[in-house]
Amino acid sequence: MEPLLYEYAWLIPVLPLVGATLVGVGLISLNKFTNQLRQLNAAFIITLLGVSMAMSFALLWSQIQGHGSYTSTFEWASAGNFHLTMGYIIDPLTAVMLVIVCTVAFLVMIYTDGYMAHDPGYVRFYSYLSIFSSSMLGLVISPNLVQIYIFWELVGMCSYLLIGFWYDRKAAADACQKAFVVNRVGDFGLLLGMLGLYWATGSFEFEIMGDRLAELVSSGALAGGLAALFGVLVFLGPVAKSAQFPLHVWLPDAMEGPTPISALIHAATMVAAGVFLIARMYPVFEHIPVAMDTIAWTGAFTAFLGASIAITQNDIKKGLAYSTVSQLGYMVMAMGCGAYSAGVFHLMTHAYFKAMLFLCSGSVIHGMEGVVGHDPVLAQDMRLMGGLRKYMPITAFTFLVGNLAICGIPPFAGFWSKDEILGLAFQANPALWVVGWLTAGITAFYMFRMYFLTFEGEFRGTNQTIIAQLKAAAAGVEEEVVLEPAFGPGAMDPHELDHDEDHHHSSEPHESPWTMTLPLLVLAVPSFLLGWLGRPWANSFEALVHAPGETTAEVVEHAAHFSWTEFAIMGGNSVGIALIGITVASLMYLQQKISAGAIAQKIQPLYNLSLNKWYFDEIYDRVFVMGCRRLARQMLEIDYRVVDGAVNFTGLVTVVTGQGLKYFENGRAQFYALIIFAAVLGFVVLSSIG
Amino acid sequence: MTNFPWLTTIILLPIVASLLIPIIPDKDGKTVRWYALIVGLIDFVLIVYAFYSGYDLGNPELQLVESYAWIPDLDLKWSVGADGLSMPLIILTGFITTLAIMAAWPVTLKPKLFYFLMLAMYGGQIAVFAVQDMLLFFLVWELELVPVYLILSIWGGKKRLYAATKFILYTAGGSLFILVAALTMAFYGDTVTFDMSAIAAKDYAFNLQLLLYAGLLIAYGVKLPIFPLHTWLPDAHGEATAPAHMLLAGILLKMGGYALIRMNLGMLPDAHVFFAPILVILGVVNIVYAALTSFAQRNLKRKIAYSSISHMGFVLIGLGSFTNLGLSGALLQMISHGLIGASLFFMVGATYDRTHTLMLDEMGGVGKQMKKIFAMWTSCSLASLALPGMSGFVAELMVFVGFATSDAFNPIFKVVVVLLAAVGVILTPIYLLSMLREIFYGQENKELVEHEVLVDAEPREVFIIASLLVPIIGIGLYPKVATQIYDATVTQLTSMIRSHVPALTATSQAPEVENVAFLKAPDLYE
Repeated sequence: MEPLLYEYAWLIPVLPLVGATLVGVGLISLNKFTNQLRQLNAAFIITLLGVSMAMSFALLWSQIQGHGSYTSTFEWASAGNFHLTMGYIIDPLTAVMLVIVCTVAFLVMIYTDGYMAHDPGYVRFYSYLSIFSSSMLGLVISPNLVQIYIFWELVGMCSYLLIGFWYDRKAAADACQKAFVVNRVGDFGLLLGMLGLYWATGSFEFEIMGDRLAELVSSGALAGGLAALFGVLVFLGPVAKSAQFPLHVWLPDAMEGPTPISALIHAATMVAAGVFLIARMYPVFEHIPVAMDTIAWTGAFTAFLGASIAITQNDIKKGLAYSTVSQLGYMVMAMGCGAYSAGVFHLMTHAYFKAMLFLCSGSVIHGMEGVVGHDPVLAQDMRLMGGLRKYMPITAFTFLVGNLAICGIPPFAGFWSKDEILGLAFQANPALWVVGWLTAGITAFYMFRMYFLTFEGEFRGTNQTIIAQLKAAAAGVEEEVVLEPAFGPGAMDPHELDHDEDHHHSSEPHESPWTMTLPLLVLAVPSFLLGWLGRPWANSFEALVHAPGETTAEVVEHAAHFSWTEFAIMGGNSVGIALIGITVASLMYLQQKISAGAIAQKIQPLYNLSLNKWYFDEIYDRVFVMGCRRLARQMLEIDYRVVDGAVNFTGLVTVVTGQGLKYFENGRAQFYALIIFAAVLGFVVLSSIG
Repeated sequence: MTNFPWLTTIILLPIVASLLIPIIPDKDGKTVRWYALIVGLIDFVLIVYAFYSGYDLGNPELQLVESYAWIPDLDLKWSVGADGLSMPLIILTGFITTLAIMAAWPVTLKPKLFYFLMLAMYGGQIAVFAVQDMLLFFLVWELELVPVYLILSIWGGKKRLYAATKFILYTAGGSLFILVAALTMAFYGDTVTFDMSAIAAKDYAFNLQLLLYAGLLIAYGVKLPIFPLHTWLPDAHGEATAPAHMLLAGILLKMGGYALIRMNLGMLPDAHVFFAPILVILGVVNIVYAALTSFAQRNLKRKIAYSSISHMGFVLIGLGSFTNLGLSGALLQMISHGLIGASLFFMVGATYDRTHTLMLDEMGGVGKQMKKIFAMWTSCSLASLALPGMSGFVAELMVFVGFATSDAFNPIFKVVVVLLAAVGVILTPIYLLSMLREIFYGQENKELVEHEVLVDAEPREVFIIASLLVPIIGIGLYPKVATQIYDATVTQLTSMIRSHVPALTATSQAPEVENVAFLKAPDLYE
């Protein structure tokens, strides 16, 4: 049974691909019919993914039992003596990732049935989800860098398609393009780094690359600086994909996509691919200290940056997005500190609790839409929420579980993984620990701010003053950028006409259907329990997934050195600051003892910095977007005037052109062409005789 | 059946068939398009069959060779053959031209003349890739210009005459260099011969090689096109109809690349050693420059035209790489762009049929009513921006890896070239995706929606795009499908060229670089 399982492991990514292809072909060729089948398509796709999930669990089980890693390859491309192979590798890291991706994708797909029930693009959404799952699964089983790069781009494409799913929204259209282009900037680095490493080591296999690179650097055949450059270039890929500073700007905008994909792609799986790549490239990075430091500090800074912005966000999804940026920063920092297994562990726990938080936010939005209508400006704004716990108890409960997990309150999952990272960061560099520790406090604050604003207090969704304010603000922003002044009745609010139709509002939000709440409850289980695997005195996770250089025996021996005092100090510190954060949040947003507005007034510049996301978008727009457009226009101008002109009016061509054009305007074009042809032919004949 | 004159049949069948068109009774122009399509299909089947039965993948030499004396006094021979360079392009030609005939379905203006020209071009294009006689090559090269010219000038847009004239003057001007070079090479040395293999076997003086190379580079640089000889292309493309586009982008541009490999690389290897860095630099300029101009273009056809120029830059870098992988990548990029370029231009045509405008400012939000067109556009654009899983990615990756691992250049030159070429990787999605955004995304453009009937794609259009996407994705998933056709030939060619690079053979026959002061190559011999 077992050999068969490994032999057919390639089916795991292929099955969802088959589903996506069949449904996709159906959509293109028999559109009406396929759309009518609706849930049948969904059931088909979910079943296929379910099979993949079962296989993944079986593989994980087999890996836990100690089955060695398994690789299978075939020759994909060749030219002369160059051979490029593709295939798949099953080792503990892969097995864990497979299970994460499959389970989250599976639950998100079930959730989608409720969330997208009334959307005309229901079937299309499922086929996109399926093709994404396929690419992501392909990514995690990749045995070499080229194959990772291939799937890396494919998940990027899926992200593009899904962010732009509601393509008639301008914000979505801009966001999907931004996501793709920013990711291409990262891929540019990844490609260059990949080429550099191949040039230096002659291989795309992780282990071989690492060994040869270490050899080359130590023997002096390759300058250390060059090796560091390649390392940092490769790291640019994860910087973009995992939304690290300075390429984090695409992720918050990506929230324009439907919420299920925010949970699946932009919280749990795809954005974690960057961390996964660092893990896979670990054999290379560990020999390049400069790269490791860059990774660690990028991660630490991003963790802080994300948290500092999340404090002031009012859009529930944007807040969660910045929290994701911050948490990814933790993982990257862990990788850079050499805390390989802690980073992957946090990736896993985060995947579950963040997916759950996003799905909760989707459930909230779904409930709010019943009150304020299908307008993201209103339905996602926390200033209009409040008191939702009464109406949506399951959502509120699961959100709270996720909140406790992300804040690092024991015994929830996030505590164990975050604490492990902080402990190892302290060993690597206390400064990193300070950043991480502070960020943990901010995290607790903004997450509970979010919880209190959304679920506690009074429901504000019917407050017309706030609604009017929000609408005006949104219209103002959009008008500045896009809309030309319109005339006629209702011209002041360009959305007015669009929204008149959906005034089927009730005055109270409602709990979501079971297809949405069930996945939430299921995800709450790992968010609560999963951390136990990584308890420091018996770390069974690390025994399974550890850095390629280490052996299991070393890991076990390392765990034996566990000291309760150390653990109590480190854990106490992080729990302490989290509790402070929660207390402050409750004073400000639950009991209203401290006025948030007054504080914001006092530190106006800092508040604005956070509210405006450190002005990254503005700066990038000014420098890169405008700069690129200007350069392009100038190039075109040059092309018209200089290049075309110069070639047109020099040499032999000029003479003929001048004469020729006169003829052509007389309409004797064909005749003239024949003359040229005959002349050339005559010339040929004459010269060959001569 | 091995002695059957396959290539001659394949070339002559559409030409003979085209001559029959005037006598076909056809009042409403509907019979003749079926006739053309069937001829195209038969010829394509013949190509595939000939390839299947008579072509040996492991053999790098010319196959399916035929040679008949035509005008003995001129030493003009009808000699055709196909090796790894020709074969994939011949198959591509049959494929794209057949689809172009299908794309021309709605043509109502002078259908008989139109299909006559299409079929004539069918044969002419294949002949360019198949003939093995220099003089004959020159003849067919010129001959296929005439139908293109006529198609441009009769079925084009408003400025069609200007565009057509510019096209023919550029290409015909370039052809003079081919003629001169061909004659020089034929008469050089003791024997007078037009046979390509014999010409390649001659050993030319180095300075003469440089001159010949430069001349041919100009001729083929117009066709490929290479900066700064590219400006005819946006004009020609801006005015052509969809089927003409498909042929221009799909096949005609590839003739330039094919001839560069066949003659510049294959016949003048010493000069190639000298010119390779220049080719590489021009390739980088092509990629970045055309990508930027494409981004600034507001006219859809011209935008895609510039994107073609940008993609051809990778061919040049591959040609100059001195590695198997690089050259293989260049050839694959030609095939891949043939498919992708044709599909993009077909989509431009399909969009124009509905919106009746090419200006991006006048479109917007049409995705709501044309969902299938939207989906097809997205797939083709993703293919063009080298998304993995599609052929363009494999080709570009091969060129990148081939050049980066090339041992003929010094590391700094390589780093700069790879870095700049990789900038193209960022620029391509910028212009393609913002184009998609402006056509399909966002609110519907009221002006457009009120005045035009935006019907979704019909089955014929879906079929054409699907036919193009199958090989695009097929090659992307398993590139050996395409690469094994030419692998043997490319390997042989690369080792021949590499034997002329002094640094690689460690022999001391350094070319006299000092003698030619007008062109100084970057350090090649590290």
